[in-house]
Amino acid sequence: MQNKLKKLGLKLPPLPTTTVGSFPKPPYLLEARKKFDAKQLRESELRLLEEQATKEWIAAQEEIGIDVLVDGEMYRGDMAAHFAAAMSGFKTSGLVRSYGNRYYRKPIIVDEVKWPHPMTVDWWKFSQKLTKKPMKGMITGPYTMMDWSFNEHYPNRKEACLSLAEALRKEVKALADAGAKIIQVDEPAISARPEELRDFALEAMKIVTKGIDAYFICHICYGAFEFIYPDMLELAVDNFDLETSNSELDLVDLFKEHPFTKDLSFGVTDVHTHVVEDVPTIEKRIRKVLEMLKPEQLWIDPDCGLKTRSREESLGKLRNMQQAVNKVRAELD
Amino acid sequence: MEILTASAGSYPRIGSTVDKQKHRQAYTQLEKGEINREDFERVQDEITKEAISEQTKAGLDIVTDGQIRWYDPVSHLARGFEGCEINGLLRFFDTNFYFRQPVVKGKLHRKESMLKREFDFAKGVSRKPVKQVFTGPYTLAKLSINRRGDDFQGLVDEFTEAVAQEVKELAAAGVGIIQVDEPAILKHPKDFKILSASVEKLAARKGKARLALYTYFGDAAPLFEEMLELPVDVIGLDFTYSPKLPAEVARRGCEKSIGLGLIDGRNTRIEKEEEVLKIIKRILPSIKGRTIYLNPSCGLGDFLPREIAFEKLRNMVAIAKKAEEMI
Repeated sequence: MQNKLKKLGLKLPPLPTTTVGSFPKPPYLLEARKKFDAKQLRESELRLLEEQATKEWIAAQEEIGIDVLVDGEMYRGDMAAHFAAAMSGFKTSGLVRSYGNRYYRKPIIVDEVKWPHPMTVDWWKFSQKLTKKPMKGMITGPYTMMDWSFNEHYPNRKEACLSLAEALRKEVKALADAGAKIIQVDEPAISARPEELRDFALEAMKIVTKGIDAYFICHICYGAFEFIYPDMLELAVDNFDLETSNSELDLVDLFKEHPFTKDLSFGVTDVHTHVVEDVPTIEKRIRKVLEMLKPEQLWIDPDCGLKTRSREESLGKLRNMQQAVNKVRAELD
Repeated sequence: MEILTASAGSYPRIGSTVDKQKHRQAYTQLEKGEINREDFERVQDEITKEAISEQTKAGLDIVTDGQIRWYDPVSHLARGFEGCEINGLLRFFDTNFYFRQPVVKGKLHRKESMLKREFDFAKGVSRKPVKQVFTGPYTLAKLSINRRGDDFQGLVDEFTEAVAQEVKELAAAGVGIIQVDEPAILKHPKDFKILSASVEKLAARKGKARLALYTYFGDAAPLFEEMLELPVDVIGLDFTYSPKLPAEVARRGCEKSIGLGLIDGRNTRIEKEEEVLKIIKRILPSIKGRTIYLNPSCGLGDFLPREIAFEKLRNMVAIAKKAEEMI
């Protein structure tokens, strides 16, 4: 896919580094979000703090030397609910259990889903202005939006998913029109029902990306790839961003059996542990995957969003990741 | 022939208003060490009473304790075994709910009796008959990691032996219906012989209780015929996955009692009376068993807000009244 990147005018070093999307929110922003929810803070005041936090995270990524940046999602809560709140056709449910003592409000599709206006373009423009490096556009994919919502409107999952795909395509188009050249479609739920990949998930992704001039990354986390691999390689994207360090790198064995034909953003640090992996550990992981893939296919990143880690842990993981990449890069030349 | 309305298992612990959040608050306090286990159990007792009273108010003929004490459908029982550790979170089938995965490292021994205590409490506070619902040994084994080096059959055997003791104790305590949930079989139909042998061992200890086998989260049509061969009194089916299931039940007929999971336990949409009645009408002539249980497709506790769960059950009771007129 290097040709596509070149055609888009993007010059990236070998083994480009990036991150999956979210970073931890600083304490002042967490405090402000609470106040905002309690109606003790105006939206404009909250926005200023979100912008400040975004600037801080962009500066941090630049300082470490990350190649493809993200805005850090300082303004987002839940990744499905964030888009559901902006789109028409949704309302919010009461509290639903996620696990243990964790509850959340799940979106409910109550009417035809429609794209209201650009939802992410403002933030993308704001963030891109702060850096010369490419800034990723980020949306939650149609399958995940469908799977993580109740459906009271559409007759089945397929119709809900395809309608969401039509709406989200407009967002992707708006991002590309604004100048976003790398767009990530998050689909953590895509392996929920493996049979649905062929039934409609492939079609949905095609609706979202087809004919739009951008390099597309699809992020998939928490596992169960064996059920949709290698079929998932047919998804209409250029790059898969897969959670791997948390699943003991069992993907590598899968690649031996069925070659990986797209680009891969390979997750090399585990976002679910406080431990900051040292440089040699990360280097070893990169070398292992290079036994399976060509260097020009490979991107390096953490295996999921870092929002549940502390700022220090996040920075530590990213620094070590970048150092490990620099070492391996030096040998590739 | 009778139509009875029943809970399928769990009921939501908390509601959306402040006065319905006691369980969540107490859990947080327990984690922070502000209250002890005994205090927490008292809250769980109270919420169990609430769950039973809401099911009763909705008009159900048969209630459950709501499985308020269950951390999740798998680890709650697995924690009661020596030889078993509890690992990280894993998605519960294709739902948006996560359970903690058991890792079996040694021979499985039940530390103490688990379910009888839960049943005794619920029975003591309920005006309605209480059904005891739990995840079956086959599904427990399937969702566990086996680190012992022996094969899957060995793991199922040990879980079965322990669960059979639970069944025996429940039967002696006077349970009317014992419901064993084996959702995992729908995804692994080739394991049916393993499931069948396990169910036989449970059936041997059921005494006078009715034994129900419930499956959900998949298409039951391909296995329906084989399920009817199992030594159980009730077969429970999830109708939300399989458009062909009503035709299959009508074709094959059913000489056992049947649990009709026609109310979607995982969607907030309230069912329309006519769409449910249409399916009941279609399969009614083929049911030869004693009882038709109308119930949600699965327990509601981990999938729906409490307010919607209540509304679903109340709507289901109204639909059952209409269905009775068809008999």
